[in-house]
Amino acid sequence: MKAFVALVHRELIEHRGAFLMAPLILVAVMFVPTLISFATGRVDGRFTGYLFAAAPTRIYEFGFLAFGAAWCVYLIGVLFFYAADGFSADKRNNAMLFWKSMPVSDFKMLLAKLTATLTILPATIYATALLSALLLFAIAFVSSTLGGVGGMALLGNIALVYVQIALSLALVLVIGLLWYLPFTALVGAMATVVGRWAIPLSLLLPGLVAVGEWVVLGGLSPVHTHTWRYLSYRADFQVSQGYIENWFTTEAPFSFPTFATDLIARTDWLQIGLGAVFAIVVMYLASEYRRRVNDN
Amino acid sequence: MTDMSTTILPPIVSAHGLKKSFGRKEVLHGLDFEIPPGRIYGVIGHNGAGKTTMLNAMLGLTNCEGTIRVLGEDPFARRAHLMENVAFISDVASLPRFLRVRELFALLSNIHPNFSQAKAQSFLEGTDLKPDLKIKHLSKGMIAQLHLAVVMAIDAKLLVLDEPTLGLDITYRKRFYRRLLEDYMTEERTLIITTHQVDEIEFMLSDIMFIRDGSMILHMQMETVNDKFTQLVVNDPAKQEPARGLGPVYEETRFGQTVMIFDGVPRSQFEGLGNISTPTLSDLFVALMQRPTANPETAK
Repeated sequence: MKAFVALVHRELIEHRGAFLMAPLILVAVMFVPTLISFATGRVDGRFTGYLFAAAPTRIYEFGFLAFGAAWCVYLIGVLFFYAADGFSADKRNNAMLFWKSMPVSDFKMLLAKLTATLTILPATIYATALLSALLLFAIAFVSSTLGGVGGMALLGNIALVYVQIALSLALVLVIGLLWYLPFTALVGAMATVVGRWAIPLSLLLPGLVAVGEWVVLGGLSPVHTHTWRYLSYRADFQVSQGYIENWFTTEAPFSFPTFATDLIARTDWLQIGLGAVFAIVVMYLASEYRRRVNDN
Repeated sequence: MTDMSTTILPPIVSAHGLKKSFGRKEVLHGLDFEIPPGRIYGVIGHNGAGKTTMLNAMLGLTNCEGTIRVLGEDPFARRAHLMENVAFISDVASLPRFLRVRELFALLSNIHPNFSQAKAQSFLEGTDLKPDLKIKHLSKGMIAQLHLAVVMAIDAKLLVLDEPTLGLDITYRKRFYRRLLEDYMTEERTLIITTHQVDEIEFMLSDIMFIRDGSMILHMQMETVNDKFTQLVVNDPAKQEPARGLGPVYEETRFGQTVMIFDGVPRSQFEGLGNISTPTLSDLFVALMQRPTANPETAK
């Protein structure tokens, strides 16, 4: 277990540029204009008008949710490129034989990479998202306090907002990562075999399978096949529907328990289970390929 | 302490009918050999002779026909387990370049049960290798030093070095082998080295294997090599014919002198023909690589 944890950790060390340094730079880049916009009055620090009167914490909820959504998009992007790059990095970096000199099987090595996509790598992005929201909240609170509308009551409320949305974001990440696990595993497995060619191939493969089904079984077009419908369903993680969709139209404060109950209830857990099995199988197949090939 | 003279130790490596093909090309033609513990083996052959493939078979990096056992285990089926007791350097440039020296040691302490961080650090004392240096910023010689420190800090029964000093200058090469002998080798450990710089490792070898075109043409203890092979330098042209009558396996002219290498001819028969000596490994290698028929022998 100690070796496995160390292997997961080495993925962060190897890819700290994309998962740690770049997000921190982005936070710094975002922090400066946000600070300037509040300081120069580009954003109304008093939060006056209907929004403030009806729901004084809504700006914080919207702000954090928007930041969370943006960081999720960033995470999806870097995880895709990590899977297409990180799974073949040992070969590309000429280090394959070094890692093979370690008492660790190829399957364990690939499983550590896949585990990194579910744990330490998204966790760093999540931590950065929390940091960016904290900075946003701090600036907004100081600005509104200077405008005469802040206070301890507001501070308590926005702390509650912060915790509720932070927990919601964590839940979205956990379920979202599990939902997309088969895709991550497939891209990683392909990268083990073909290296960075996995990037175009992983985009091409679903289309090819759908076209194959269309050619063999017929139908209106490739996008009207079972394959296409299934892949469309599996590619769509419907986090913005249900509670969130309704919450936007009300003035009620954001509720993590309600959001969590709704998201868990709407999640297709059978598909997540099947996806996990699929991920393990493709990792095993990729490890058997890696075991037989010593390209350094 | 074990009495080596009365206890028959199982071989570290045993191979029977070891074959390997890439596509339709067979690169190993049924090798049979055993490597006992506590020996230092030199595996020598041309580029493409099959040395690395043979080593890869020992290390579980490739699947072969026939049978091969390392420390009693099938290396291809049990590579991960085997690597607890086997260390190897296949290429000095294969260390992960994104790591710092201290990160490498910290990772290895958690990954390898027989790696000692303290030992590795002690091997680097007095060198320019500092813990905060990134591997990608090290020179090739420094990377070789670091890699050697890593494998020497692993308490392994078998160490395999495949061209470990390739591309290094002579100072680093000498230091590399001296360190290996002084700080690592014990009678419980077995070392297998391949290199093209044969003469540089000759002094440390206990056994040699010559591989030509996927076949083993010589497998012998160095003491037996000294007894079996003789180099004769003939200065007098009149004595060349009698010398040729003794059946040299190789003959060449160097600076006007005729040099012949003989296999299994008693040294007493060379009296009066010229100067006799034991051929260097590189001379023997050149001689035997050109001999038309293979003559494998098992180390006694």
